[in-house]
Amino acid sequence: MSTNGYVATPTKLELKDISMLFSRRGRRFEALRDVSLQVAPGQFISIVGASGCGKTTLLRIVDGLSKPTRGEVWVDGRAVDRPGPDRGFVFQHDALFPWRTVLDNVIFGLEVQGRPKREARERADVLVRLVGLTGFEQHFPHELSGGMRQRANLARALTIDPDVLLMDEPFASLDAQTREIMQAELLRIWRSNRKTVLFVTHQIDEAVYLADRVVVMTSRPGQVKAVLDVDIPRPRDLSVKRTPRFLELVDAIWKMIEEEVKAALHITNTDGPSVHQVMM
Amino acid sequence: MANVALGLELDLQRREPLVLRWYRAHLSTLRGLLSLLLVGLLWEIAGRSGQWPLILAPISDIWAKFLQLAASGELQRHILVSLNEFFVGFAIAAVFGIFLGIAIASSDAVNDVVDPWVSAVYATPTVALAPLFIFVFGIDAASKMAVVFLLAVFPVVINTATGIRSTDQVYIEAARSFSASRGQIFTKVLIPSALPFIVAGLRLGIGRGLVGVVVGEFIGARAGLGYLIFRSSQAFQIDAMWVGVFLLAGTGVLAVIILQRVERRLAPWRQFQLK
Repeated sequence: MSTNGYVATPTKLELKDISMLFSRRGRRFEALRDVSLQVAPGQFISIVGASGCGKTTLLRIVDGLSKPTRGEVWVDGRAVDRPGPDRGFVFQHDALFPWRTVLDNVIFGLEVQGRPKREARERADVLVRLVGLTGFEQHFPHELSGGMRQRANLARALTIDPDVLLMDEPFASLDAQTREIMQAELLRIWRSNRKTVLFVTHQIDEAVYLADRVVVMTSRPGQVKAVLDVDIPRPRDLSVKRTPRFLELVDAIWKMIEEEVKAALHITNTDGPSVHQVMM
Repeated sequence: MANVALGLELDLQRREPLVLRWYRAHLSTLRGLLSLLLVGLLWEIAGRSGQWPLILAPISDIWAKFLQLAASGELQRHILVSLNEFFVGFAIAAVFGIFLGIAIASSDAVNDVVDPWVSAVYATPTVALAPLFIFVFGIDAASKMAVVFLLAVFPVVINTATGIRSTDQVYIEAARSFSASRGQIFTKVLIPSALPFIVAGLRLGIGRGLVGVVVGEFIGARAGLGYLIFRSSQAFQIDAMWVGVFLLAGTGVLAVIILQRVERRLAPWRQFQLK
């Protein structure tokens, strides 16, 4: 366990002292404070924390959808401040375009880049196959189950072949069994293409099961509380979730988050008049 | 699993007699037809009784009048005149309305300048302006086109603007995450997402546009279905009046059905949401 995200291997993605201030209804609050993280190429990072700790905000900043108040995001040694083809975003909610078929949704990223139709089509076919949606290319999103929609969502983010995949609680709306299947599927896909992944979730077991390292965040303002190495060998199957080491890690993270929630319940908000914050 | 369930379902369907299955599938259509038939029958009886000669002509008389007017070619002339007035006025309203709606939705400045006018004019019964239009544009087609335009344009403008504005932020963000340009977000997200609204606006516009044709022709015209209705009722030719009314009703129903089809083609996902 280390308290900062330092790794000795080359860095794919680096977050440098990211802070984010929001003002809402005239009151300012701090969503993120000095979040720094270094991620090696091909590494799978899960980010967990109590709700409202700014996990999603952080991910949006990395994608360039939001600009941080302070700090920078570096990809391959270059600062980035807007969305780019080097990063793909998988949204929490069902963000497939309802007016496009699965195939046309998957093609979207390449279409926007102005790639030739045939090349885009071939690439999309490969990804549709990879996520196991063959035969559903011409279906509209509303004709698919929740799990299938998230497969399509993943395929859409992968078509532009980003080096970094940003996933914002992609399985949150799925039922327990489908979620487990999707977790295993995600690992299979990740094994085949070795993207660098930032995976935001509030399911601790999901975080541990998927990741090489789990970043635990504090309550608002979100800071990196701890980074845990998940030393469970790969390939992992679902039976890993019953091993002592797995349960130990989950338990340790649980305790940290519990601590944060308790702390947040007792501390008054320093930004405004003494309001007791209730998280989760 | 799904295949087994599907097989069972097919099996059950097969066991039902064909007549029963047909009946079940067309039940609501059958009920509708029955209702039409019943009212038609009552109408015929009431008309034959001769109690209300200024209001009701028997359906059979209306039909006879229809055939007579059609044979003389007079009816076709009226229909063509009205259709021409309607289509030109409506087409201009559709194109202009969609463009104005887009402008309102994409620019706050345009919205601030135009919105008070749209709201004010939409709320007034603009049909009242029809006499003015006859003065300005003359007694022939142009004045009626202007009335149709004025009546049909507002639902198109308002629906287009609302449709674009109500685009879910999630879709815009998804497009942005793929580095889509503003123009691409517009054509690939905002417009498709607004399309069902736009079509609904056109549908409303058709109804109002037809009212425009008729009212315009009531006030001053030399031909057209509205003119036929007006002149016939003044001359107590109740059967000819009803021929005009039925034709207008038919046109309205037909136009709405066509646009519903278009809507279903353009926005198959909306059908699902509405259910």
